[in-house]
Amino acid sequence: MKRTLAILLANPLSLLGVVLVSLVVLSALFADFIAPFPEHRGAVVDFVNFNKAPEWPYIFGTDLVGRDMFSRILYAYRISLILGVVVLAIAVPIGVTIGLVAGYLGGRWEYALMRLTDVFLSVPPLVLAMSIMGVLQPTLANGMLAVTAMWWPWYTRLVYNITRGEKEEGYVLAAEVIGASRAHIIFREILPNCVPAIITKMTLDMGFVILIASSLSFLGLGVQPPTPDLGSMVADGAKYLPDSWWLTIFPGLAILVAVFGFNLIGDALRDILGAEQ
Amino acid sequence: MIPLARLLAKRLATSLIVLIGVSMLIFAIARIIPGDPARIALGPNATAEQIADLRAELHLDDNIAVQYGYFIADVARGDLGISLYTNRPVTADIALYLPATLELVLVAGLMMVCIGLPLGIWSARWRGRAADNIIRLISLLGVSAPSFVWAVILMLLFAFYLPLFPIAGRISDSYAISPVTGFLLIDTLLKGDIRAFGNAAWHIVLPAFALALSGIGQAARLTRANMVETYEKPYIEMAQSYGFPARRIANHYAFRPSLIPSLTIIGLDFAAMLGNAFLVEAIFAWPGLSRYGVAVILRKDLNAIVGTVLIISATFLLVNIIVDLLIAFLNPRIRYSQRPA
Amino acid sequence: MSAPTLDIENLKLGFKGYTGYTEVLHGISLSVNPGERVALVGESGSGKSVTARIVLGLLQELRAARIEGRVRFEGQDLDSLNRRERHALRGKAMSMIFQDPTSSLNPVFRIGDQFHDVLRRADPRITRDAALGRAASILAEVSVRDAVRVLNAFPFQLSGGLNQRVMIAMALANEPALLIADEPGTALDVTVQAQTLHLMRKLVEDHHTAVLFISHNLGVVREFADQIYVIYKGRIVEQGPTEAVFDGPRHPYTRALMAAVPRLTGGGIPDIDENSPDFGAPLETHEREGRQ
Repeated sequence: MKRTLAILLANPLSLLGVVLVSLVVLSALFADFIAPFPEHRGAVVDFVNFNKAPEWPYIFGTDLVGRDMFSRILYAYRISLILGVVVLAIAVPIGVTIGLVAGYLGGRWEYALMRLTDVFLSVPPLVLAMSIMGVLQPTLANGMLAVTAMWWPWYTRLVYNITRGEKEEGYVLAAEVIGASRAHIIFREILPNCVPAIITKMTLDMGFVILIASSLSFLGLGVQPPTPDLGSMVADGAKYLPDSWWLTIFPGLAILVAVFGFNLIGDALRDILGAEQ
Repeated sequence: MIPLARLLAKRLATSLIVLIGVSMLIFAIARIIPGDPARIALGPNATAEQIADLRAELHLDDNIAVQYGYFIADVARGDLGISLYTNRPVTADIALYLPATLELVLVAGLMMVCIGLPLGIWSARWRGRAADNIIRLISLLGVSAPSFVWAVILMLLFAFYLPLFPIAGRISDSYAISPVTGFLLIDTLLKGDIRAFGNAAWHIVLPAFALALSGIGQAARLTRANMVETYEKPYIEMAQSYGFPARRIANHYAFRPSLIPSLTIIGLDFAAMLGNAFLVEAIFAWPGLSRYGVAVILRKDLNAIVGTVLIISATFLLVNIIVDLLIAFLNPRIRYSQRPA
Repeated sequence: MSAPTLDIENLKLGFKGYTGYTEVLHGISLSVNPGERVALVGESGSGKSVTARIVLGLLQELRAARIEGRVRFEGQDLDSLNRRERHALRGKAMSMIFQDPTSSLNPVFRIGDQFHDVLRRADPRITRDAALGRAASILAEVSVRDAVRVLNAFPFQLSGGLNQRVMIAMALANEPALLIADEPGTALDVTVQAQTLHLMRKLVEDHHTAVLFISHNLGVVREFADQIYVIYKGRIVEQGPTEAVFDGPRHPYTRALMAAVPRLTGGGIPDIDENSPDFGAPLETHEREGRQ
C-alpha cells in the first residue's frame, strides 16, 4: 500500500492525477470556505451582475441570473462526488457478488445470471439510464438509482471472467478438497484475487460515473435546478454560445479535469497492481 | 465456412433471448411509471370517460403479464403502437429520425477505427518514447470528457473562432434532397449531386468527431495495451530475430493478434455511441433521435419510450453480432475449428 | 585460416533498473568456426539466452542494456555496424530457432505467409508463389511431405513436431552462416525432440552451417555438438571438445550438470519402472531431469 502510493507520487502523470483529484475532492469538501459566494449554490438572483465575462471577483464569470460560476462549480463537484461514491458503493458489491456466484457455481446459475447481465449490457448505457430517469422523478436519489442500474453488470462481467480462471487454480482445488464451504471459497479464496482489478476499475469508474451523470443532467434528466450540476450548466449555457462562452466552457472543463484526474490514477494503478500480480 | 454459419445461428438465438429480456426490462420500467399515462396523454381537460376509453385501448387495466403479451404480439407484427406525443405510429417516427442518428454514429465509428487504431499501433510500436507518451495523454484526454463537452469545445474553436465548419444542421437549406435511404451522404450521391454531398459531409465532420473522440481514445488505449502485451510474445521475438521490418512487425505480426481481443470492446464503444449521439445532436441541432427521445421521455410517452429503446437495443445487438462474426473471421482458431467456439 | 563465424571476446552485459545496475554477463569469450557446432550449456538464468540475443543485435536496441566487449561476426565487429547494418544480418546471415515452435509462429497467419516474409529477407521482391515453391522444397529437406497442406495451415493446426520442422526450415531457408538454436524443442515431447534434433544435425551438416546451440541439457548436447562451453552465473567455467569435457569434467559445476544426466554418468539413476514403454527411449530420462 505504501509502495503503491510511493510509485503513484513518483510518476509525473499519476502525480498530476493525484493533484487533480485532490483539488476536486478538497474543493468539494471545503466549498463552503473556498467559494466566494456560497449562497450562489441556490436560487439567488443578482440582476446587476448577470452574464458577466470572467473578471474579479467572478473569476469564471456569472450566469444569466448573476450567480458566480466558480462557486457553483465547487458545489457541483460536491454533488458529482457524492453521486459517484454512492453509485459505486451500491453497484460494485452487487456486480461483484453476481459475478463470483455465476463464475464459481457455473451451470444453470451461470447461464441465468450472465444472460441477465447481457440484458443490461444490451441497452446502450446512457439510454438505459435515460429510460429509467424518464419514468422516475428527476432527483439526485433517482439519478443514482439509474446510474447504479447500468453500472453493476460491468463488475459482474469483470469478476466473472477472473473467477472462471481462478476456479481452476490449485489453491481453489485445495480448498475444495479440504471441504471448505462454497461461501468460504467464493469470498475468502477467490474474491481477494479479484480485488486489484476491482480497485483499478473503481478508480477509473469514479471518473466515468461523474461523466455519465453529467450527461444525464445535460439532457435534463438529472439533478434539477437550482441545485448546481456540471451537466445542466453546460446545457443551459450552450444556447448562448459563442458570446457567453464561460457558461459552458468552465463547467465542461470542470468535468474534464475531474474525470481526467481519476483516469490518470486508475491507469497508474492498473500498471502497478497488474505488475504485482 | 460451416463453423461461421453455426456461430451466426447460435449468436442470433442468444441475441433473440437477450432482446426479449430487454423488452421485458424496458416494459417493466415503463409500467412502473407514476401517474396515469392516459391522463397525461389526453391533457387536463379530458373527461373520465375519455380516459377510461384510452386506458381500455392501451390495455392499461389488465395485469402486467397480459399487457406484455399484447405488446409482444404487436411487436412481432412490427407494430410499436402510437406515440401519444406525435399521434403517429412509433415506427414511423423512428424511421424518420433514426437515419440521421445512424449516419452520425456510422461516420463517428469510422473515425474511431481509422484514427484510434493507427494511434494505438504507433503508441505500442514506440512504447516508452515521446510519441507514445503524447498519444497516451491525448487518448486519455479523449475519454475524459463526455461528448457534449467535446461538442462545445470543437464548436467554439472550429465553427466560431475559426469558422471552418458550419455551426448546426445536416445540410445547408439551399439543397433540397428528398429522402430515399434517409442517409444524406448516400441520398446526395444517389441524386448525383456532388456539391450537396460535399455540403453534407462538411456538416457532419464536427459532430461526428465530437462523438468519436472518446471512442478514438478508447480504441487507441485498448490497441496499445493489447499490443504491448503481444510484443512480449515469442512470435514477435522470432519476427525480430529474423529481421522483419519493424513497421511490418507492428502493423501485421503484433497488430493482428491484438485486434481480436480489442474488437469486442471497440464494438461496445461503437454501440455506446448510439446513446452518446443524443448529447452531440443536442449541441449541433442535428435532426436525429435525440430531440424525439428526450421529448418522449419528458412527456412519459410509453409506447415511444419502449419502441425507441427496443430499436436502439436491437441495433446494439446487431452491431455485437457483426463484431462477433468479425472476430470469428479474423481468428483462425474459431474459423477453422471443427466445433463452434 | 578463415575468420571464425562468430567470435565473442570478454563480453559483459548489465542492466540499469530501478534498483541500480545489475551485471548479468561478467566477460565471456567463445568462438564458433565455419560449419562448427558449438554448445553453450548452463542452467536457466546463467546468461546463455542473453548471449544469443546480443549476437542477433536485439539487446542493443534496449536502452536499459549496457554491453561491453567484442562480438565479431565473420570478422566484422558488430559494434562498428550501425543499426541498419546489424538489422541486415538478421534473418539472412544469421537466424534463430526457438524453444517452443508453436508459440514462436504467429497464430493468426498461415505458415506460407510467414515463410514468405522469411524469404523476403534475402530476396525482397520474391512473389508469394515463388516463396511457397521455395518453401516447399526446403520443407522436403526436413522430411515434410505434404508441404502444400502445411504451408496453407495455421500453426495451431499442426503438431509441435511439425511446427519445429517448419522452424528449422525457416531458419535455414536463407542459407545463413550462423544458426542460433535456443533450447530447440524443449517444449516438445522427448522422442519428437530427438527426431527433430537429428534432422537439424543432418541439415546443418549438409549446408555447412555453423551452429550455436544453447541448452541446459548436457545429454542433448553430447549428441549434437563438437565443442562445449559451460556457462555458470555469467561466466564460462569450462570449455573444450565435447568428448574431452565428458571424459574429464574439471569444474564442479560441469560435474553437477552431468550428475543431472544420470544415464550418462552411471550413478544415481532414479527409480523408474523398467516395464514402462518409455524405458526404451534413451532421451526420456535426461529430459525428465532437465525439465525441472
